[in-house]
Order: sequence, then C-alpha cells, then structure tokens
Amino acid sequence: MTGEFDVPKVEYALVLPLLVVFAGALIGVLIEALAPRVWRYQAQVGVAVSTLFAGLAATIQVGVGLEPLAGDVAARGDVVVEGALVVDGPSVFLWGVLLVLSLISVLLFAERRLEGGLTSFAGQAAALPGTDAERQASTRRIEHTEVFPLLMFAIGGMMVFVAAGDLLIMFVALEVLSLPLYLLCGLARRRRLLSQEAAMKYFLLGAFSSAFFLYGIALVYGYAGSFDLAAIDQAVSASTAGTPLLLAGIALIAVGLLFKIGAAPFHAWTPDVYQGAPTAVTGFMAACTKIAAFGALLRVFYVGFGGASWDWRPLIWIVAILTMVIGSLVAITQSDIKRMLAYSSIAHSGFILVGFVGLYAGSPAGEGLTSLSSVLFYLTTYGFSTLGAFAVVTLVRDAGGETTHLARWAGLGKTSPVLAGAFAFFLLAFAGIPLTSGFMGKWMVFAAAWAGGAWPLVIVAVLTSLVAAFFYVRVIVLMFFTEPGVDGPAVAVPSALTSSVIAVAVAVTVLLGVVPGPVLDLAQQAGAFVR
Amino acid sequence: MNEYTPILALLALGFGFGLFSVIISGFTGPKRYNRARLDAYECGIEPTPQPVGGGRFPVKYFITAMLFIVFDIEIIFLYPYAVAFDSLGLFGLVEMVLFISTVFIAYIYVWRRGGLEWD
Amino acid sequence: MNEDLSVFGVDPWWLIGIKTVVIFGLLVLTTLMTIWGERKILGRMQHRIGPKYHGPFGLLQSLADGIKLALKEDVVPSAADKVLFFIAPVITVTAAFATFAVIPLGPVIDLPFTDRVTPLQLTDLSVGVLYILAIASVGVYGIVLAGWASGSTYALLGGLRSSAQVISYEIAMGLSLVAVFIYAGTLSTSGIVAAQDDVWFIFILAPSFVIFLVSMVGDTNRAPFDLAEAEGELVGGFHTEYSSLKFALFFLGEYINMVTMSALATTLFLGGWAAPWPLSMWEGANSGLWPMLWFLGKVVGFLFFFIWLRGTLPRMRYDQFMKLGWKVLIPLSLAWIVAVSAVRVVRLQGGIDLRWIIIAGVVIALAVLALAFIPEGADPQEGAETEPVPFDAFAGGYPVPPMPGQQSPDLPPMVAAAAATGGPNDRQDAGPDAGQGAHRA
Repeated sequence: MTGEFDVPKVEYALVLPLLVVFAGALIGVLIEALAPRVWRYQAQVGVAVSTLFAGLAATIQVGVGLEPLAGDVAARGDVVVEGALVVDGPSVFLWGVLLVLSLISVLLFAERRLEGGLTSFAGQAAALPGTDAERQASTRRIEHTEVFPLLMFAIGGMMVFVAAGDLLIMFVALEVLSLPLYLLCGLARRRRLLSQEAAMKYFLLGAFSSAFFLYGIALVYGYAGSFDLAAIDQAVSASTAGTPLLLAGIALIAVGLLFKIGAAPFHAWTPDVYQGAPTAVTGFMAACTKIAAFGALLRVFYVGFGGASWDWRPLIWIVAILTMVIGSLVAITQSDIKRMLAYSSIAHSGFILVGFVGLYAGSPAGEGLTSLSSVLFYLTTYGFSTLGAFAVVTLVRDAGGETTHLARWAGLGKTSPVLAGAFAFFLLAFAGIPLTSGFMGKWMVFAAAWAGGAWPLVIVAVLTSLVAAFFYVRVIVLMFFTEPGVDGPAVAVPSALTSSVIAVAVAVTVLLGVVPGPVLDLAQQAGAFVR
Repeated sequence: MNEYTPILALLALGFGFGLFSVIISGFTGPKRYNRARLDAYECGIEPTPQPVGGGRFPVKYFITAMLFIVFDIEIIFLYPYAVAFDSLGLFGLVEMVLFISTVFIAYIYVWRRGGLEWD
Repeated sequence: MNEDLSVFGVDPWWLIGIKTVVIFGLLVLTTLMTIWGERKILGRMQHRIGPKYHGPFGLLQSLADGIKLALKEDVVPSAADKVLFFIAPVITVTAAFATFAVIPLGPVIDLPFTDRVTPLQLTDLSVGVLYILAIASVGVYGIVLAGWASGSTYALLGGLRSSAQVISYEIAMGLSLVAVFIYAGTLSTSGIVAAQDDVWFIFILAPSFVIFLVSMVGDTNRAPFDLAEAEGELVGGFHTEYSSLKFALFFLGEYINMVTMSALATTLFLGGWAAPWPLSMWEGANSGLWPMLWFLGKVVGFLFFFIWLRGTLPRMRYDQFMKLGWKVLIPLSLAWIVAVSAVRVVRLQGGIDLRWIIIAGVVIALAVLALAFIPEGADPQEGAETEPVPFDAFAGGYPVPPMPGQQSPDLPPMVAAAAATGGPNDRQDAGPDAGQGAHRA
C-alpha cells in the first residue's frame, strides 16, 4: 500500500491543441455564466473563433515537429500521456481538418441576419413549443449562446476520439463528442417539435450504440487483457485464429463506430436527425462527426485489429455494399432536400468504407497512395462540400423558415442563379464529376481499394455512384430547367458569415478538384498510424 | 478470515435485530380495526388521493440528485489523489487544480442559472 | 504513512462474536443514554427537570419508552406498499449499525487469559472512511423508501426532503475529509489515528473540522437542520405513518447515526482514542482499556454538542439550509483543499519555489474573485423571466404570509375597510408599521 507512485508523464506540448480547445470551451461556459446577456453573443463568437485559430496554430506546430519513428519508414509521431493518446500523422491531419471545418461551422452558427437579428437556435430551449414562455422568450429576443461552447466541447471530443490510443479513452471521447451534439440537435428555433424529436431519437439510438461499443470493449479486454490498442494488436497477432470472444468484441465495437458513421444497417437515425436538427448543426455533424468517426474506425481496425483483418473484412464488405446501395437507392425517392442530403451522406459513408476495406498499405517503399491517405483525402473533400451544401439550404426560405421540400426549390436557378449554381456545384462534387473535389476523392479511394484487391467492391461503388448521380442531376434539373412556382421560395440575403462559408466551400471544392496535389501530399505525409 | 468478515457479522446482527423488531411488533401490540386509522395521516382531514405509482414530484429534486452525482464523482477522484499526495507532488497538485477548476466552472454556471435556488 | 493492517482480519470467530456483540450493546446503550441525556439537558436548558421517575435520575426512562412502543398497535396504512414499508426501517437500522465496524475504540491490547493481541476495533479496511460514507449513503435508501412506501403526502415530501438534505451535505462532508487524507496519507481509520500521534488534525485543519461539524449535523437530520420532520409543515416527515417498533427503529437509527458521526469526528480530528494533553503526560494513558474511556469521553462531548445545538438554535428555513450547503460549504471546502495541497506541496518540495506559490496564490485569488462576481441569487436577467407575482394575501383561498421577495401590502382590503369605518387601526398608526397593524388585525 505504501508503494511509491510513479508520477505519470504528460506531454503538454504535444497535446496542446486539445488543451486549447477544451480551455476555450470552459471560457465559453464562464462567459455564459458571468457576462451580461447583451455581450454574450459577441464574446462567445470571439472566443470560439480565436480558440479554434489558436488550436489550429498549435496543431500546425505539433505537425511540423513530429519526429519520425525509429525503424518504421512511414509513421511519424509518438504515444503520449501514458498511452492514452497517440499523436501521429493521421491524428494531426484529422485535427487540422476538424479545426478548419469547425471554424467554418462557427461562422454558420453565428449567422444572425436570417432570423431577424437572432441566431437560428431556440431562444429558450426549456420553454415548451407553442407556450407563452416560448413567445415571451422570442419577444424578449433571448438567445442560447451556449451553442458555441457546446460546439467546442464536441470538437474537443472528436479530436480526442481520432487520437485515442486506448479503447477506454476512445469511449470517453465518444461521449464527450456525442452529448453536445444531442443537445445541439434539439435547439432549432423553427419547427421545434421536429427538432426535439430528432434530438430524442439521436440520443436514444446513440446511447444504445454507445452501450454496444462499451460491451465490445469489455469483450476485447477479456480477450487481450488490455485496453491499449498496441497491446490488443500484439494479442491479436499472436494468435492464429480469432476466438469467438474477439470476434464478438470486434463486431460490437464496429456497431458502435458504424452507427456514428451512419453506415447501413445502422443508418436509420441519419435522415430523421439531419432533417430535424438546425441546419447549421446538421452541416457540422455531417462533416465533422463523420470525419471523427472514420478516424477512430481507421485507428481501431488498422492498429488494434489489423492482425485479424481476414476476420472482419467480409463483414465490412457487406456493410459497405449495403450502405452504398441503400443510400443511393433510397435517396431517389426523397422529396425533402435535407433528407436527400442525409441519404447522400450515407452513400458517401459506403464509398469511404470501400477505401477503408481495401487495406492497401502502399507501394513497397511505403510511398504514395495508401488506403489511409485516400480515406483522409476523401474525408477532407467531403467535409467541405457537405458543409457548403447545408449552408445553402439555410438560405432558401419562405415565411415559415427554411423550406426544404424539393418542389419548392423548383426554378431556383432562375430567381437566384448564383446560389443555385453553388448548390449545383456541390451536388456535382457529391456525384463525383471531374474537376470537382468529389471526383478526386472518389478516384483515390477506388484506386486504393482496387490496388488492395477489393475490385468487386469498386465495381459496385462505381455502379451506385451512377445511380447517385441520377438524383443529384435531378435536383439540378429541377432548379434550372423548371419554371418557378407562384409562391416560389425567397432566397434570404445572408450576412458575410454564411456567404463566406459558401465561398470557402466552393473554393476548396474547386481547388481540390483542380490541384489536389498539396492536400494529397499532406495526407500522404501523414503516413501510417503509430502503435 | 479476512478483514471484511467481521463486517458481515455486524451486518447480520444489525439486520437480524431490525427484522426481529419489525416482525415482533406485529404480535406484541393490540389489534383494533379502524378504517380511518388505516388512511394516510393528514391532520384529520380527508386524505388526498395518491396517484398510482407515487405520482410526480418537483424536478428540483432530480437536479439536486444529478449535481450530487457530479460532485460525488469529483470526491471519489479526489480521495486517491489525497492518499497518494506525497508521491505525486507538484504534478498532482497542478492536475488536481485543473480538475477542480473544471468542475468549479460548471458549478458557477449552475449557480448563475439558478440551479441552486430553492423556492 | 506506513499503515499496517496485518493485525486485522486475524481474529478467531469467537473473538469476532464478542466484539460484534460488544459494539452492538455499546451502540444500543449509548442510544438509550443519549435519549435520556437529551431530555435531561434540554429540560435543564428550559428550566424543567426532565424525566426523573424511572430508575435513579430517571435513567430507565428510555427503556420504559421502548417497551411502551413495543406494546402499541402496529399500523400499516392501507395505501402503503407493504414489502417496502416493512423493509425500510430494517435498512436504516442495519446501515446505522454497520457503519461502526471500522471505528477504532482503542489500540492493540493483550487479550487476558490468552497470548493473543487484538486491536480494540472490530476491523479496519484500507478504504475505511470510504466504507463509512458508502454505508451511510445506503441508509438514505431507508429514508426514501419509507417516505415513498407510506402512501402519504407528508411522508413522501419528508422522505424527499431528507434525502435531498443528506446528499447535499454529504458532498460538503466528503470534501472536508480530503484535507485529512492528504495529511494522513491513508483512508484506514486506524492509520488516521496513528497519523495524529504528534498533533491532532483539529489544530492544523481547523476549517475542515468546522465544515465537517456543520455537515455532520446536516447529514444526521438534527436540529437546527431537522427540516425533514418540521412538525409545523410535514408532521413527522418520512416516518409519519410509522408506529410501534418500526418507528422505534427509525428513532434508534437516527441516534446511532449521531453516535457514529461523533465517533468519526473524534477519529478524524480529535486523535481518536489518544489521551488528551494533560493526561497524555502519564505513561499508561494510551495503553490497556484506558483509551476507550478517552474515546467515549470525546464522543459524549460531541453528543452534548448536538443536544446543545438543539436546545439553542431555531430550525432553519429549507431554502436557507440548501443555500448554506450548496453555496457556502462546497466552495469553501474546494478553496480549502486547494490551499492545503498547495501548502503541503511547498513543504514537501523543501525549498520554497516562489513561482509556484505565486501561481497558487493567483489561482486562489481568481477563485475568490469569481465568487465575488456572483451576486446574490440567480442571474438577474434570468430571474426577470419569471415576473414577480404581486403578493396575494389570500392565495388559494387561505390567508398566507408573503413569500421571500414579496412585499407585504400596506393595507389589505379588509383592514382598509375597517380603517375607513374608523376601526381600531386608525390613521395615526398607518405609518411605518402599517403592515404590522394589518397583521394584528
């Protein structure tokens, strides 16, 4: 009992980005508690933007200073905080992408012109919809500025999620990133019942899937005797055949992660939640949650269960095919633009899973294209386009707020060609038309999968891409080649915030489509996971 | 024998005593049936009908219970730190101050939002 | 600190049996004496004599009361949940007894007629104090279940209040102990007593002791914090519907909890069984059975303090009580923990590194500053969301006093009418104390 404790070592310099983001979130909470209501919005936006910038700067600094690992050719980085976190190339790359996307999301969150000088979040979430209290809150122009700290907590959780070197830390991060998102989903200013229903569904299903994840961790711990991914890898590689315990553990962990990704058959929440959540939150979720979940999926399966890949590959094959087919086919029948984008995001999860399951470790020299770098690149391209698409959705409105029914979008290209053009461009990127980032992303992912020997999957993916292209093009046709209805939608004039979000998204989509080189190099330099 | 066995003995004795008292009190006292006596006591007026299953009570109690859990977990983290204080030294202090202030910020938020008011 | 638990867990079964029975008897006896003492002392404080007929000085009064309770009818309300109604008092009393298992009554002694040595303590665990807190929390189940199972409004409200109260003060209590563990380096009760060999923790950790003292009274539902059984509001609280021996069990549980809390306070802050200063000059004071006497003396001192409080202080209002627990004791304990750790680290590091003292000072100053920024009550803008309701003296059809923050009106209509017709409250005293006049009317 008197045994001396070894003082744990914390590499503060390497985890600085995380510390900065969490500190910013805490400052946000303090502002919420202490600042007068009139200043809160300005203060919160200021703190959020500067925190994320500081986090980005710290990330770049960490990324530049990453030491190459002795012996291993491609991997750079280090295991820090007593094995709890792994700061390596993929971690830092994903941190950077997450921070940039969240910066853009903050701008979207901060948009105030569309709702007459208020944010698009519920004035007082505790007031029941349709009551006097709600009306009072809106006449007194109350705002929930808590959304900014919530966003930062979610981002902090995601950053830990992609860097976790330990299944338990990964679970904690999963909760840290999920809880703020559940809340954010229920905060829409308009159509609050729908929004609250979405939050409730997301919470219940999310809690359910977390339980699966946790149970899987327990089983894997029973098999490997450790939560540490590196130790699990050793245990898995040492044995010749997968035992039922390990297989069940892998399957349950996969369920938890595939739920967050929105892969079929765990996709059921996606359309409802994407539709009900405030559109700014939907964009944030669609971009960042997916990136974080894929980051974690890659790490767990490549590092932890890499030795058992023959056991889990068939499973992921089936999931990938199901996801692509369901996402593409069901999207065709959607009449709501947000639901259609939700199914499109499901289909994209399938495409990314194709790259993931290819397991292509690159040419013998360890240089060039790998499954890992292709997935990282795809996530980047997809994140920007999807955020831009949802930003456009916030602008098409009528008297009742956003109008998301497809029929109301008819003729948008005639009334406001610039906006419709931007949206059409994002749709083309989703479809994977050359000269857009989507094409480059799909190309990389499919090439890596092909090189990894998953050619049947690639064929299915290309076929479903064609199906998907059909409904994207249908929306474009609807916008440009249909006469606007009598009470066609009004396109609200946004402030500089939303406009710049769309502009940045368009710019990135073009740039990554035309000159993908720099970002692709970055993704390839990220190298491999450190274990 | 380990150090937990005596606790079981005391538990058993206490439980036996309690059970004995509860059972014996049914035999030692008189039994005079009176319907009014079996009603809930409300100072003589007709008792309010109780909803099945206990009904609702104010949400304040739930908030108190949730805050209790948060702080109880904080305490549970502080105890091992306190016991290992001497070997953790400065590192432990810094980390614990960070931890305490994290919870404290949430506490300030709850306070300012009226979560600790009781009317 | 070197803690050595090897002397525990080696007793043979007959010794465990003897110790268990002795502790059981000690607790029951102390309870009987405490009830008698409480009535005697309260009587004296109120210029009465107190019980005096049964036995010398009325010593057997509590016993007589117990027998009387046993002969009363055992009423089970028809609305009660029968099983839980039966089991709740058993839970309470079991938890109350079990907490005493790790309290050290004395040092290791030689057992007469054998060559054994044994500590004057039933057992000890490496997590001793945590065990006490845990079992004490189990006791809350008894309260909640009793209130809920009674099927009565008063009992339900009383049970909720008690449990809210107990858990609120348990936080402050748990936090106040952290400083003790920092200094003792162990959670085992015998280890903590050993750590107070040179100086009792009450002297170096006085703020912890004060916080513990306050939360101990709150935790045991004793006056002035006995809101759960505020007769004027809730009749008897959670045990309103209990009668006969079941009621006696709750009563017993409450007094045993008092004894346990006193014993815990003695162990943690007053050096446990160690002899107090002038006596400790004598060599034999800390050996043999003497320490039990010192220990019991300290416990009786705490019990007297409990009774004294009850005789002196009026009952607090519930909102004031919760405010004391949540808004005063908790931040105070947290600040104290940080201060104690900072000082201790500086002491351990040997030389005083000025930078870290400055950092600690800044942290504390910031905490205090943050506290100072918090105005009384919730955010005023937040509060404005509920418009202050004008005081209605007959809200709900009954005359009611003003709520906190409400202004008593100058003249309610009835009195105004009386004044208009030239009643006793005439114009000349409708001055500053017109409100009072209205109340008199």
